Amino acid sequence: MPPVIICPACDMAYRRMSPLVSGRTRCIRCHGSLQRAENARIDTAIALAVCALVLLWLANAYPLVTMHVNGASRETTLTGAALGLYHQNYKSLGVLVFLTTVIGPLVQVLTLLYVLMPLWRNRAARGQNTGIRLLTRVRQWSFVEVFMLGTVVALVRLAKFAHVVPGVALWSCALLMLCLSALTSVTGPDQLWRWAARVRT
Amino acid sequence: MRPATGRSLGLMVCLDCHLTVRSVRAPRLRCPRCHAPLHDRKPHSLALTAVLLGSAAILYVPANLLPVMETRTILDDENDTIMSGVVVLLQSGSWPIALLVFIASIVVPLLKILALGVLLYSAWRRSPRGRLQRSRLFRLVEIIGRWSMLDIYAISLLATLVQVQSFATIIVGWGAWAFGAVVILTLLAAHTFDERLLWDSA
Repeated sequence: MPPVIICPACDMAYRRMSPLVSGRTRCIRCHGSLQRAENARIDTAIALAVCALVLLWLANAYPLVTMHVNGASRETTLTGAALGLYHQNYKSLGVLVFLTTVIGPLVQVLTLLYVLMPLWRNRAARGQNTGIRLLTRVRQWSFVEVFMLGTVVALVRLAKFAHVVPGVALWSCALLMLCLSALTSVTGPDQLWRWAARVRT
Repeated sequence: MRPATGRSLGLMVCLDCHLTVRSVRAPRLRCPRCHAPLHDRKPHSLALTAVLLGSAAILYVPANLLPVMETRTILDDENDTIMSGVVVLLQSGSWPIALLVFIASIVVPLLKILALGVLLYSAWRRSPRGRLQRSRLFRLVEIIGRWSMLDIYAISLLATLVQVQSFATIIVGWGAWAFGAVVILTLLAAHTFDERLLWDSA
């Protein structure tokens, strides 16, 4: 590995020093983040990922909200919301919603588990490095926290003419949002590559 | 004195895994660690960003003028644009939510288009002024970008739930499609913009 670190945001070059013990370093020129110290162990990351997987299942298996109006009631799931758009002939919007709320988080968690489980037993998964790259890319397209607030907005708008009951999936979604952000902070790219490098040596 | 940069040292950084790699002139170079395509700078960054941003700016007009959803009840039909949706929320007395939607759906997309436009122009002119501020502005655009999806999610839930035949149905309008396209195009534009171009003439 070359003894130089380059800031990905402004191309400034730095000499690599001894590994960080805590905190992070920032580029002196553009103040972008350069390095982050190790802030968790693989066990923690795996535990959070399994937790996220269970929450993801709950969020998809149970209704998100139930609406009661004039004696009739309607409920929808997370996938149902995407399908609703799809059936109204806005296929691309439906696909977009489905990709960013169901597929994105699912791929993110599964890839993480695929990479971390072997690392935990001191082995490298097949295609591990491509997996880590996939992970950092998919993360940018997983919008659970935005979906959560969108749901709140929808509920407020419905509440004035119907009785709405939040379902199991809504609470799971809220927890999933917290779980995923914790997971992202303990499995930053720096951290993953550090764990991966440790196995080979 | 010129600062030591990757370029001046003949080094490149992989944007996917941040590995430092020696620059070599070869087509289809890939990162030895994560196999991501490697470039000194993102290829055709300014042109691609300009096209994506231009399309987003054009679609921003129908996104705000066309109805995003149509509510049909027995009594009347009601068309809602993004702005009138905010007004409805305001009238129903929930101003924090109205403010949230206003910021996420109206301020953020507009701010993103303007900010990326300024960044694009200054990178193209190789302007040396306020580099740090521009770098920070870009980072802000990257962070807030996803929040514009808020309204799309709200609309998708409303349109799915409110399908009570005898009472009301909500039909999605073309405004929603245009709005979704604006959000995605601006996200992609931020993605194709190479922020190092802001610093290259330093």
